[in-house]
Amino acid sequence: MGIRIALAGNPNCGKTTLFNALTGSNQFVGNWPGVTVEYKEGKYKGDKEVKIVDLPGIYSLSPYTLEEVVSRNYLIDEKPEAIINVIDGTNLERNLYLTTQIVELGIPVVIAINMMDVVEKNGDKINTKKLSEEIGVPVIEISALKNRGLKDIVDAAVKAAKEALPQSPKHRFDGSVEHALAHIEELCLHNVEDENVQRWYSIKLFERDEKIQEKLGLSEETVNHIEKDIASCEKELDDDAESIITGERYNYIGTIIDGCVKKAKKGLTTSDKIDRIVTNRFLALPIFAVVMFLVYFVSVTTVGSWATDWANDGVFGDGWHLFAIGSADYNDAVDKYNEADLIIVGYDLYCEGNGEGPTGDFKYPVEDEETAAVEYRTATHEDYVEAMEYINSHEVPEPEDYGVWIPGIPVFVESGLDAIKCNDAVKGLILDGIVAGVGAVLGFVPQILVLFIFLAFLEACGYMARVAFIMDRIFRKFGLSGKSFIPMLIGTGCGIPGIMASRTIENDRDRKMTIMTTTFIPCGAKLPFIAMVAGAIFGGAAWVAPSAYFLGIFAIITSGIMLKKTKIFAGDPAPFVMELPAYHWPTLSNVLRSMWERGWSFIKKAGTIILLSTIVVWFTTFFGFTPDGFRMLEEEEIGMSILASIGKGLSWIFIPLGFGDWEATVASITGLVAKENIVGTLAIIYGAAGDVYETMRAAFTDASGFAFLAFNLLCAPCFAAMGAIKREMNNTKWFWRAIGYQCGFAWVIGLIIYQVGKLFTGEGFTVGTVFGIAAIACLLYGLFRKDKYAN
Amino acid sequence: MMPLVMAPQGEEQMIKRIGGSEEVKRHLQELGFVPGGHVTVVNEIGGNLIINVKESRVAVDKQLAQKLFI
Repeated sequence: MGIRIALAGNPNCGKTTLFNALTGSNQFVGNWPGVTVEYKEGKYKGDKEVKIVDLPGIYSLSPYTLEEVVSRNYLIDEKPEAIINVIDGTNLERNLYLTTQIVELGIPVVIAINMMDVVEKNGDKINTKKLSEEIGVPVIEISALKNRGLKDIVDAAVKAAKEALPQSPKHRFDGSVEHALAHIEELCLHNVEDENVQRWYSIKLFERDEKIQEKLGLSEETVNHIEKDIASCEKELDDDAESIITGERYNYIGTIIDGCVKKAKKGLTTSDKIDRIVTNRFLALPIFAVVMFLVYFVSVTTVGSWATDWANDGVFGDGWHLFAIGSADYNDAVDKYNEADLIIVGYDLYCEGNGEGPTGDFKYPVEDEETAAVEYRTATHEDYVEAMEYINSHEVPEPEDYGVWIPGIPVFVESGLDAIKCNDAVKGLILDGIVAGVGAVLGFVPQILVLFIFLAFLEACGYMARVAFIMDRIFRKFGLSGKSFIPMLIGTGCGIPGIMASRTIENDRDRKMTIMTTTFIPCGAKLPFIAMVAGAIFGGAAWVAPSAYFLGIFAIITSGIMLKKTKIFAGDPAPFVMELPAYHWPTLSNVLRSMWERGWSFIKKAGTIILLSTIVVWFTTFFGFTPDGFRMLEEEEIGMSILASIGKGLSWIFIPLGFGDWEATVASITGLVAKENIVGTLAIIYGAAGDVYETMRAAFTDASGFAFLAFNLLCAPCFAAMGAIKREMNNTKWFWRAIGYQCGFAWVIGLIIYQVGKLFTGEGFTVGTVFGIAAIACLLYGLFRKDKYAN
Repeated sequence: MMPLVMAPQGEEQMIKRIGGSEEVKRHLQELGFVPGGHVTVVNEIGGNLIINVKESRVAVDKQLAQKLFI
């Protein structure tokens, strides 16, 4: 039978680095059953029979955090053959606190003192032989980062596992505590099969650990009985039971350390010196701003957006030029050719309209691809002559002529399907359903990976913990964590990596709140839609775009304040205490591994939901009941599609918001596939009647137009982002809660905007206005009501 | 006795007492804050402290720092 070795240790002790070094790529990453705590196991590189389980980082084996409960349940119930207790050598005293508890479990333990390279660099000396004698378990010096002592530590653990000597801790508590412990053991633990673990149980019962009382099935009578022992001990030592145990453990550690460790010098460490600057009260925010700007600049505006454009427009679009060589020339040529073509179109339109050619200047229409806005430019007769010459002397520019052109996957698939004369419906399913769906998943992966490199680096070097410290005071006010800033900043580019960046938030409640609110910030894909509404309904007013961002920030703040007063988010915000790990340069392999793990989990977990939803929306868009029966539709026939019927069925929901027609409803639904699709859908629907922008302006008032914008900005994000939410919540109930809340909130805000907005646009006071004002009142109540769950 | 918030930066202090709720107290103890233990304030922003305790740096907010007495 194989041997299972558990890695246990404090957060930031280098456990994960050790785990990666020991297992290489033979890893399985998942979740502990039912909780969001990450589970990792792998096979030891040197011996496939040895399985290594990486327990979450913990400070003690008390039952108060999920990580602790998960770890100790694993250790007690699954009983791994050995435990490697990883200890940060630069911080022995605090790390040994956990050790004193681990050795009580009765499982063979070996201690790995990690970061020995740093210890030596500091000039400190640790007498491991003496330490080993004092604690009674083997102690091995290692450096996971420098691959030092790795074989030794596993060999020692395997040896300990094979010998399976019962571990008995050398440490004894104060006489009266030991007396109580002996009594507890005698009274409650004679039934426990494994004698070795009895001491641990008795200490936990002494600490009044309710989970252990439950586990052992103690009767109330027994609990009351031992309570007397505990109380008398507490009285004698004048402290509560838990503090007695904690204090004694630290005293014990103090005596061990005195005998085994020689510190070279006291004073500020390098990390302290860096902290003096980085978390300095004057410099902290400017430094933070610079770091954030860099992250944003690279992962959202430059490298990240190139990566997304390449993946979406290149790989899952028409195609791309290898290394972008020739792209610029090709685009210039296309622009020139199109311009010339449009001038000729304009000329012909003029001829059609007036029956004769223009003698002077004439107008020609130019359509913006992203926003479907049409602009009229003026051309002279000379321009027309030039354009004619250009068109006659040039071919339509072909991308192949400008560099090495690699066709996109859809193009490639389409030509393949054409070659085998594929049925139109099947072709549509494959291209617009499956390939587009896969594209929606994979198209964001490059940008996600770019962002994750940054996050992994910031986390591994130690800065992320400081971010929480610097921003916490501001975000705490509306129920979020200091670390929520990063998801929201990233969310301005794309909500998916934004949601996934919430992983760095430890506190479960803060993380859920962040996931629920991150997509309120307009992402890049919503910008064309915002521009379209601004252009079509508000005549290109400059205030529309900034108002979208203010709306997003407003939504986050109000949601934060309202939600933290609800039952599901109830409870005091955890007081802010966290360890700031020492600064150090992470290794490239660890950064890349972390990036890949997160990226892959997105593809796997979010991929399915995105793909399925895309296919469903494709089907409902392109199929419908026409006068000649149920059949596949052309793009322009969207009015007869199943989706349009659904839109007609659902549009009543939006009547109070002022856009209760099927067109707007259908556009909102296709927006779920990708928010930029709203523009495309509206262009198809309204384009049938002529000018898209003019038809759209006629369909909306100012109030209903802005309500439409607000609803689509705030409601459930695209399927890809919903997939990310599902992945990060890791809980179906919470996923639906998040989506439900977002849609509900969006609806209420839309209602307020339309109904109250009507007052200002001169439509007068109606019954609806009353509802609008009532909604504002509800919102205010949610914001200012007393928090009955707070102490 | 005074709360740690009032301690000057860079000087080592001994913790005399820890106040606050059971849960908070326990977490502080796990992180190394125990009566009789030594701590040094490394940095302060608006009452929030970075404290050096048992060779590690721990960030605590103002509320909590007021419960650590020296």
